[in-house]
Order: sequence, then structure tokens, then C-alpha cells
Amino acid sequence: MNDTRFSNVMEYEKDLWLCARCGDCSLADKIVASNREIFHPCAVKNVLGFEAYTARGRIMVINDLLAGKLELDDDLVNWAFTCTTCKNCQETCTATADGIRMAEITEALRRDLVDKGLDMPKHRIIEEYIEKEGNPYKEPREKRLELFGERQWPERAEVVYFVGCTSAYREREIAIDTVALLDKAGVDFTILPDEECCGSVMHRLGREGPFNKSAQKNIKAIEKTKAKYLITACAGCYRTWKIDIPENGHKFKFEVLHITEFLDKLISEKRIAFEAPNGIRVTYHDPCHLGRHSEVYEAPRRVIQSVKNVELVEMMTNKRYAHCCGAGGGVKSSHGELADKIAARRINEAEDTQAELLITACPFCLRGLHDGADYIKSSLRIIDIPQFLLPYVIKGVIEVSEEENPLKQEFMDYLRAHPKIFDGLKPDAVIDYIIEDDRFHVRIVKKGQIEVNPIRAENPDVELTFSEGAVRELIQIPSEDEYAARFGQFFKEPTDEKWIKFNLRRNIVKLLMKGYRKFAQKAGLI
Amino acid sequence: MTIVKAAKTHPLYDKLVEIVSEERINDNPIIISSYSHDACHLEAERPSIVIMPETVEEIQKIVKICNDTRTAVIPAGGRNGICGACLPRVKGAVMLDMVKMDKIVTLDEDAMTVTVEAGLRWAELIHRLDEKGYKLGFRGPYGGNVGTVGGSVSINSIGYAASKFGPSTEGVVSLEVVLPDGSVITTGSGWNRDAQLFARFTSFNDITGVFLGDHGTLGVKTKVTLKIYPKAEFITYGDFGFRTLEDAVRAFHEVQKRGLTEELNLLTDRQSTDTFFPGFLDNHPEINAMFASIVQETDQQLADRKMEIIRETALEHGGKDLGNFASQMHWSELFNLVQPLYNNGFWLNTCHLRPILRVPELMKKMWEIFEKYKLLNNGIKWIASCLGAERTYATGWVTIFAPTKDKMDLALTAWNEMLDAVIATGGCPYWNGLLWEDHTLRQVDPAFLNVVHTLKRAIDPNGIMCPHVFEGVK
Ligand SMILES: Cc1cc2nc3c(=O)[nH]c(=O)nc-3n(C[C@H](O)[C@H](O)[C@H](O)COP(=O)(O)OP(=O)(O)OC[C@H]3O[C@@H](n4cnc5c(N)ncnc54)[C@H](O)[C@@H]3O)c2cc1C
Ligand code: SF4
Ligand code: SF4
Repeated sequence: MNDTRFSNVMEYEKDLWLCARCGDCSLADKIVASNREIFHPCAVKNVLGFEAYTARGRIMVINDLLAGKLELDDDLVNWAFTCTTCKNCQETCTATADGIRMAEITEALRRDLVDKGLDMPKHRIIEEYIEKEGNPYKEPREKRLELFGERQWPERAEVVYFVGCTSAYREREIAIDTVALLDKAGVDFTILPDEECCGSVMHRLGREGPFNKSAQKNIKAIEKTKAKYLITACAGCYRTWKIDIPENGHKFKFEVLHITEFLDKLISEKRIAFEAPNGIRVTYHDPCHLGRHSEVYEAPRRVIQSVKNVELVEMMTNKRYAHCCGAGGGVKSSHGELADKIAARRINEAEDTQAELLITACPFCLRGLHDGADYIKSSLRIIDIPQFLLPYVIKGVIEVSEEENPLKQEFMDYLRAHPKIFDGLKPDAVIDYIIEDDRFHVRIVKKGQIEVNPIRAENPDVELTFSEGAVRELIQIPSEDEYAARFGQFFKEPTDEKWIKFNLRRNIVKLLMKGYRKFAQKAGLI
Repeated sequence: MTIVKAAKTHPLYDKLVEIVSEERINDNPIIISSYSHDACHLEAERPSIVIMPETVEEIQKIVKICNDTRTAVIPAGGRNGICGACLPRVKGAVMLDMVKMDKIVTLDEDAMTVTVEAGLRWAELIHRLDEKGYKLGFRGPYGGNVGTVGGSVSINSIGYAASKFGPSTEGVVSLEVVLPDGSVITTGSGWNRDAQLFARFTSFNDITGVFLGDHGTLGVKTKVTLKIYPKAEFITYGDFGFRTLEDAVRAFHEVQKRGLTEELNLLTDRQSTDTFFPGFLDNHPEINAMFASIVQETDQQLADRKMEIIRETALEHGGKDLGNFASQMHWSELFNLVQPLYNNGFWLNTCHLRPILRVPELMKKMWEIFEKYKLLNNGIKWIASCLGAERTYATGWVTIFAPTKDKMDLALTAWNEMLDAVIATGGCPYWNGLLWEDHTLRQVDPAFLNVVHTLKRAIDPNGIMCPHVFEGVK
């Protein structure tokens, strides 16, 4: 009997039981049938073919491991490090409210394997370097800020720019251009004199390394600057700061923002604006750690679309269901060619849009995508968001060319004045409203309190599309109950002028948990 | 490229790798493990080697080698069957994972047929046809994100749009099959090498029908030709509730008889509705059974009028108009309806067909079993739903969900009685597989079975295709 103790994996026993092997995570095409943009979600399976590389297959393999039916050998270790932990399978999976958590299960398995002394020698070396030099690239600690020349950084500032190892040592343009952008926007910012690796690499490989020590050191250094914001242009650092560091019990007061969120804020505050001299068609690759892991999908798009003369076109898979670039989850360091092949497929997807430029928002994705393009000798230009934006910064006061849609404004005002419409929905329920191709969203703050935001939600539960006629009638209705009844009527008995359409963006189990049953009952839908 | 390297211990590895290259063949136990189940709990032997063919010629060569060496061949599609049909019954089997054969070969807009490679999945086929302005008749099993056309027609799958078009097999015009000796035939009008694939029944026996529902025992299907229809954009919906299952069934029977709907789904009791659409009947305490109806037409008036007739029929049978939320959600969540039910636990299915009017008889027995084993007290939920199928029969999909591993034994005990009850009340499973085979063999007329076995011996004298299927599991 093989060693069947996998204490970290066993925390996911329920997921391992509830996966009924429907195979959606492997082969689903939900583009037409249920109006999601899912197409063969597992980028790894799409290259390697066999089922063992998908969540469905991985769960079968793990269940065999727990039953002592498989050897713990090098093949198994190699296999365990083929998952990019991209979470596309989880987003696709509707078996549980959150989907079967394959990326977490993979990391748990890796921790168990490392505990059993089963790992890849190259990962041990990476860990040693992080311990010693504060980066995984075998570079000396002293060279981290070399890219900024002699520039001196203030001891205090409103913003700390966390550079991250990949931008500091490899994709240096990103760091240089980020700094230049912040300068142009007149941001009061600084950089830590002895920044440590955020710990992302170690976490993804199932290793502890100096994670907690580095986090504490970084937090202390940031707090010393009295910064209100920590910003990063790296999706991996962002996820680590946003999710892993707090989850490991570290507390801090500053707010963590990705550079795209920060720029989005600067744009809306009219502190920076962009214009391309000639029309340009671009597409955007969602980094998994920024998108699926942290649910930031719209900010980068708003920033790109704020550039005058730029047309953003989406790839076949995008946002929640975007294919991974292949570099994450330790795959690039473990199986370099696999990462390249996955990236090459993403490049093909980008090429299909006829875009001139592929933009991303993560140095690691950038590197992966470049390598993928080289792998298939593609001439597609690939660029990270700060690099894309820098040449287009324009001076002076920015005119807002878009006129607000008055009906949208009236509808938002109406909903603000009638928060009872949303009674029954749990905090953080989010509904996206679409009228005449314009969007806004409502977020439930707590019982009786809502937030109505004039922009598209990052990751709504439900999208509601209204005809103009339906909105005009609804906003005249004084009582919430009557509103609900009319709303239900427009859905059930639509006319050419007055109709409402639904698009569920989350699975039914999750929607029920968020209180949508009551919402639907009140609207007379059920 | 390969990461988990083949063990190369299968006796045919060296010969087979020459046909498909290293990237598409593997006998490593890790790879094999991921082909050890389909979407049900049942287990059989594991394949000893898995191959992902890409062309008919490759399959011909593989099958020929296996035939020469008397090695078992098991074709597998999306492996999302729920009866263990794609699992080998013998050791040493070569499994063909067909999902790389997923092209649309011809869209014949004159003959209104589409010919696809057998490994294409229903959802993608719908997607591709939609782009061209067409729809399928039968639209795929509820697992059609992953279920392949070849897999479905090999086990008589039934599901979406069966109300109007019947099961998957009804829509088939022609098949291309690699026979166990490696030769290839095209059935239907394909016997004439110069003809289009436009008709199934011509000049000879219905050879297409011989291979439909064969559970892969007679050959490897490599292409399937299906009927197509103009896309129909006008859809009307209606949900109707009834005080008793008997009333609901009579109304359902009437609607189905008149062929009004694309999809017609009966939920036989409150518990089933609550499992499927939680809260749906909260405001209707008197309602015990309901159906959701979907009409899809190329003309709005036609769609409206048909729904009016359905409504009138429902009301005549004491039905209550419940609006149309359930049917709208049902249709818009195509291929996504069943998976959220997994949240209730691992599923044990009893899929079969029966005449509509025999649904209450089945449910009476089922409720007795649910009560006998106190399923709800043990956290075991159920769903009992029937899809109308072409004229007047229906699927019986009575499923229970074991919420945790420790409830599985109890659930299995109840489930085995449920299977007996299905057969005892005149049900005929769509498929056999590990799930049904022993039950159907107990009931089958020996003369009938003899024909099945004679066909098998004639077409596959060495018994290499899915050996021992239709011979009993135990
Ligand atoms: C969520 C979910 C919902 C489902 N809903 C339904 C439903 O509504 N109705 C329904 O009928 N089923 C349903 N099923 C079961 C499944 O979708 C169907 O049985 C489907 O048709 C299986 O197709 P497959 O390609 O996965 O076949 P597999 O499971 O891979 O194989 C099925 C059988 O076909 C044979 N086979 C496969 N490919 C070939 C080939 N090319 N040539 C010869 N033989 C072949 C195999 O040997 C096996 O005997 C559901 C499953 C899931 C997971
Ligand atoms: S992980 Fe989810 S999507 Fe994948 S097979 Fe399991 S239940 Fe289906
Ligand atoms: S996390 Fe990504 S790479 Fe890993 S199994 Fe899921 S889809 Fe595949």
C-alpha cells in the first residue's frame, strides 16, 4: 500500500466527492448554448490532450492516490506541476457554488508532495535564492533597483509602487514605464529600498520558503512610508498581496491596487489622459491572477478604452473564461516548453481578432506570451499596459467626450431612491444593468443599503438588459412592490417596446446563496 | 509533447505508436487513471492504453492490429455517459479517446444534413450550425457540452428537443463505421458512392440502425450525418402547475400527442421542483406537479398560437398558469441544467423510457422507496423528471443524490430497488452499460438476444469490439 496521507488535499474532500465527472472543465463549449464565452477551458489539456491534465482527470488521479492505487514517483511529481492553477476549470464548473476548486487542490497536493520530500530539484534552488537574494531569478539583491539608475526614493509618499521580481530583473521596461507614467500623472510615490519577493512563486509551488518573513518585512517597510496605496503592475504580486498575505494572517492598513485600477482612478479623477495619434485595433489578455483570481476584468479594459483612437476587440475567450497564457502556477519554471505551447495558442487566439497589438497587464504573462509568439514565429506585437500607455499620455485638461445617457442617469437615480427593490439579496450581490448598450451596476452593501455605480461591474451575478420603453415605465412607478410586479411582467410577457432579458453570470447554486430566490419571488418570476 | 511519459508496457505499444506518434498514445497509470470512470460511480476494468486518433485511417490501422492480435478495442467519446458503457470489461484493452475527431466534414445545405466526425460534441456542433443559420433536430443529451455525437448515437441518448425530434438516433441519416477487420462502410444513401448523404432508408435493410445503440460493439463510428433545420428564432414559454401528478400527466400527454413543443419537461412532485428550481412553488402550496413547455418556430404567430393551445390544454386539465420563468431558465441554461444539482451529492440515475401514461405508476413505487429508506431524513434528495419524446413516450429520469461518502451505501440500496421498480413498471432503459445490463438481461426475450449476439458474431467474429457487452456484468 502506498502512502495515502495527504492532509492538505483532504481539506478538499467534499470537492473530491461532489465532482461527478461531467467533463465541462475539459471539453465544454458554452459559447452559444448557455451564452458564456467558455471554450475548452483547460489550456494545459488543450496542448497535452489526455484527460489527466484536466480537473476531471486530476480528481480521478487524486482519488486514486488517496486510495493507494498509484505510485508516488517522478511521473506523478511531473504531472502535479503541469497545472497552471489558472482556475478556468473552476469558473466553468457549476457543480458547487464556487465550482470545484482545482487550483487550490493542486496547490494542496503540491504541499503534500513537498512534505513527503517529493519535489523538483529546480524548485529547491528557486527557494534557496528567494531566501538568500529575495528573488527567484538568481540575481543579486543589490541589483534590484539598478534599473532606476541613481534616482533617490522618498522615505514617505502617498503611494508605494511594488516593483516585483519579474519587472525588476527581467521585464524591466514595465517598471521603467510604470514609474514614468506615475511621474507624468504627478503621483506622490516611492519604491521600497529593499523590496523582497512577494512570495507568489513559493506559494504556487506548494512551498513555504520565507513567505511570512518577507511579507512582514515588506509590510513594515511600506507602513514606514505612511502610504495609503500599494500599487503593483504584476498580477502575481497583486494576487499575493490581495489574497495570500491577508489569508496568512498578516494585517495592514494600506489599500492594494493593480496599476490598471490605479490608472482607472486617475483617469476618472482627470489626472491623466491618453490619445493615440492614429487609429489602432488592440486586444487584451486577462492575466489569471488579475482576472479569475482577483476579479479585476473591467478596469484594464476601461483604461485601454480611455485611449482616444483605440479600438478594443475581445478574443474568443475573455474575462472570466479567458484561456491562460501558460506561464503561471510554476509551469514555466517546471515545464518551459509546455508553457510556450500554451502561450502560442493564446497568440493564435489574439491573431484571430485581427488586432495589431496584444496588451496584457502582468510581466509574467508578457514574458510567457513573447516566448509563445517566438515559438510559432508570430510577428504579433505584444506589450504590457504601462508600455502601451506611456507614449499616448496627453497634456492639459481632459475633456470628457462621452455624454452621459440621461435615461441611464434617471434609472440609476430611481434605483438609489428605492433600495427596497433589492431586499432579500445578500451583501455583495451585484447586478449589471444594460440599457441601450450602456451599463451601470448595483451592489448590495447591506440590508437596505445599495451602491449604484455608473460603470460595468467587474464580475456581476446577473446581467439585466432593458428596453428603453421598459425603463421609461419602470422609473415612473412609486412603490417597490409595483415595480417588482411590472418588472416580472416585462420578463414574462415581453412586447416589442417593453422587455427585459436575463443573463445569469453565475451558477444557480451561487445565485441562491446570494438571495436571488427572494428577489425572483418578489418580482413574481417564481 | 508529452509530460507524463508512456510506460510502454502494453504489448502493442511499439506497433501502435508508429501509427499515431508518442503524443497521442499513453499507457502510464496516471493517464489511465483519468480514463477509469465515466460520469457515474460504476467501475469495470481500466483500459491498458489510451490512444487519441485523428483520422479514419489511423483508426483502421489500430483496429486491424487489434483484430490480428485479438486485443479489445473500446471507443470512448466524451466519457460523460452515466452507465459505465465506455469502460472495458476485460484487461489489456485499447481505448480510443475520440475527442480529437471533432470536425464538421460537410454541411449539405441542399440535402439539409450535416456530416461530422464522431468525436464532435453537441454544444460545439450547435455553435457552428448557429453561425450558419441552422439548428439540429435532437439537440443533445443534457450533458451535451461534453457528450459526443458518436457516443450519444451509440447508446440511444435522449434529451434536448426530444419532444419534437425524439432521441439522438432518430436524427441520424448515415454513419461511417470502421468495422472490426479495419474496413470502412458508409450507411444510408452512402451505399451509393456517388450519392449525397441525404436519406437513411434506401435500397437495402436499415444498416444504420444496426450500429445505432450498439454500445460500440460492432465497430468504431467515425462520421455521423444528422438532419438539420432552419434556425428558428421565435420562442414561447409556459410553466403549468397541477394539484395531482395524474392531472399533470394527462395534460402532458395531450400536449405531447399534438406535437406542439420543442421541449416538454415534467417535474413529478414538489420535491423534484424544489431540487431543480428551489423556491419555485413556494407561492403555490396547492401544486404538486408541473411542466415547463418550450415552443420554437420560424414564425412568431405560430409560436404564440401553439403556446396558447398548450395553455388551454393545461387549464382544461385543471392546470394553473405559473408564468414562464422555469421554462425560460431551462432553455437558456442549455447543457448547464444538471451540473448544479451535483451540489446535492453524487448522483445515482435510473434513466429510461416509458409511455407517458405510465409515469404515475412508476412514481408511486418510487415514493414508497423514498419513504422506506427515509431518504430526505438522511439528506438524500431526489429529482424525478420526464422529458416528452416524439409522440407519446417520455424519459423517466429519477435520480437521487448521496450528499457524502458515508450515505452512499444507503443510497445504493434504495437505488437498486428503484432500478427494479423501473423495469417492473414497463420501463425500457435507453442504454445498458454496467448500470442496466443485468436488469435488462433478466427481462429480455432469449430469441431477441440471440439476434443481437448473432449480429455481433457476424460483424466481429474475433470479438474485439467492447467484448462481453450485452453478456451481463456479474
Ligand atoms: C450532466 C450530464 C447530463 C446528462 N444528461 C443526459 C441526458 O439528458 N440524456 C442522455 O441520454 N444522457 C445524458 N447524460 C449522459 C451522457 O451525456 C450521454 O450518455 C452522452 O451521449 C454520452 O456521450 P459520450 O460521447 O460521452 O459517450 P461515452 O460515455 O464516451 O460512450 C458511450 C458509449 O458509446 C460508445 N462510443 C463512444 N464513441 C463511439 C464511437 N465513435 N463509435 C462507437 N462507439 C462509441 C462507447 O463505447 C460507450 O459504449 C448526461 C451526462 C451528464 C454528465
Ligand atoms: S470539476 Fe466540475 S466541471 Fe469538472 S468534471 Fe468535475 S463537476 Fe464537472
Ligand atoms: S487550473 Fe487551469 S490548468 Fe489547472 S486543471 Fe484547471 S483549467 Fe487546467
